[in-house]
Amino acid sequence: MCLNHNETTQNPSHFEDSDDGNTPAHTDITWSEYNELIKGMRFFDPHIHMVSRTTDDYQAMYQAGIVALIEPAFWVGQPRTGLSSFKDYYSSLVGWERFRSSQFGIKHYCTMGLNSREANNEPLAEQVMEILPLYIYKEGVVGIGEIGFDDQTPAEEKYYRLQLELAKKANLPVQIHTPHRDKKKGTERSMAIALEHGLDPSWVIVDHNNEETVKSVLDKGFWAGFTIYPFTKMGNERMVKVVEQYGPERIMINSAADWGISDPLAIPKTAALMKMRGITNESIKLVTYQNAIDAFGKSGQIDVTDFEDGMESDHSAKFHGNSILRGGQQPAPAKNSLLIQ
Amino acid sequence: MSDVIQQKIREVISQNTSPSESDWLTQKGSSDPLELMTAFVASPRNLHKKIITVTPEQAWELNAEIAGFSVNDWSLVRLSRVWLLTQLDSSDKETYVKNISTLFDTAEMNELVALYSALPLLSYPDEWLFRATDAVRSNMGFVFDAIALHNPFPARYFSEQAWNQLVLKTIFNDKPIHFIEGLESRRNEDLAMILSDFAHERWAAGRSVAPQVWRLVSNFMNDIIAGDMQHLLQSRYVPNQQAAAIASFESGYKPAIELISNYPELQKSVASGKLTWTDLETTDLNTYVPQP
Repeated sequence: MCLNHNETTQNPSHFEDSDDGNTPAHTDITWSEYNELIKGMRFFDPHIHMVSRTTDDYQAMYQAGIVALIEPAFWVGQPRTGLSSFKDYYSSLVGWERFRSSQFGIKHYCTMGLNSREANNEPLAEQVMEILPLYIYKEGVVGIGEIGFDDQTPAEEKYYRLQLELAKKANLPVQIHTPHRDKKKGTERSMAIALEHGLDPSWVIVDHNNEETVKSVLDKGFWAGFTIYPFTKMGNERMVKVVEQYGPERIMINSAADWGISDPLAIPKTAALMKMRGITNESIKLVTYQNAIDAFGKSGQIDVTDFEDGMESDHSAKFHGNSILRGGQQPAPAKNSLLIQ
Repeated sequence: MSDVIQQKIREVISQNTSPSESDWLTQKGSSDPLELMTAFVASPRNLHKKIITVTPEQAWELNAEIAGFSVNDWSLVRLSRVWLLTQLDSSDKETYVKNISTLFDTAEMNELVALYSALPLLSYPDEWLFRATDAVRSNMGFVFDAIALHNPFPARYFSEQAWNQLVLKTIFNDKPIHFIEGLESRRNEDLAMILSDFAHERWAAGRSVAPQVWRLVSNFMNDIIAGDMQHLLQSRYVPNQQAAAIASFESGYKPAIELISNYPELQKSVASGKLTWTDLETTDLNTYVPQP
């Protein structure tokens, strides 16, 4: 990690709960082992920030069986200074990133929203709220997200409430980001406000759960998302135990991979671990694929025929005689070959 | 823009929608700008996505209003979006340009396709020129197609440089240039020479260019391009030889004419009108794969 202690203090991030990196993140299982365990499975990652990932990740995800993903609008690390950078970011979620994903055989959806951290810049937040309606009705926008609390300030609450109303009006699911700090309280508060606004909990996905929050979320009828993210969020051994304890209903896992030390293959790796620990294929399918589709599919924007048999054929498919993959691009160059043609 | 074209488009839409879809569009088309713009965005949530059917008469009528304008093979969503744009009040230029610009700035791929498809119908064409030339730089295939293929806007408004860039990028992207509106009328010497250079780069890399692109050079044949013709005639790929034969014959340039005299069969086919560029028009291009 290249951040020194002072920088970490001034700019708290996903690393803030780190115990100095002593926790092993990836051990025990090698690629070939897990690849064998999950053979034939397909995965849906309902939370990943591809804008901060590389094309290599897309290729690896595709090879590991990830057929579709949801990219929630979030904080890209660098604070945005004006409305235009929001517009460009939102546009990239429904434009370039969606296109790039399609080139590697993965169906790309997104959720749109003003994230909690940036809700605190109120003058800018006001402007963002004005253009949000032009984004939330777009094709492939499967929810309002990720919204909720970070610092749990009044400004965050204000824009969280406004966006819940927007979700109701647009008939879209809501994807809630629960805070890193004071998580239990933040999670309870998020759910209480959603209920206060009359949202049906089956339309709300509460994300970044842990052992402390899961019971309450499930008991209240919400979907419980779990982020498999080294150091700061869930580890996948813990995740297996959660599924063992609570079963697979209304639980979904994601990678939330972003610009931090994270893993875009978190879902297939967790699926392999679940398989090793004796969790049934049906349960694995629910938490790594089907539940996410059922929850976000309420938007009316997910058509499984777009991806359930893979999008690979698109590489050579033509639309009215035109391929969209040109300029000499190859969807999967032979990376072990010395020759570059 | 004429009211006639609005009506013609509405007629095609009516024939391709259910009453409830049609009602939704009618209501949104007469609403205030913000609601109309939101409807432009939300169209796929309210209309089916099928490809529309257009009668030959309707296609002819649309083309008669705006030469080169065609809605064939469009989806209902694309056509409806274009119609909604024609319903935006254009009387106040500043507001109109601001509204359309906002849609451009916030658009996803299918919306961009609709916006670029609508360019020939929008008021204040000069205002869209930069966006149109910028679309040619797009790496998103459908967006590029919307401006480059079957769209009369570029031929009418692009500068020569922008036009040449459009044609060249169409070739570079392995798309069929015969779908470009105004291809014949906007041929020019610069483009012919750029194409020759481009072909040399391709050949050096062991790649090819689509044979039909040589239709762009016949009016501007010179010794350099005649050299290219020789290269093509000597290749073992028949469509290359055919392209060189047609271009050379059309050029009337003596050294080029002499070249094809060595290929009497080809010469005969071209001279008799049996072999034309139409025979080389194909949508199945794959010039990055080395030919035998």
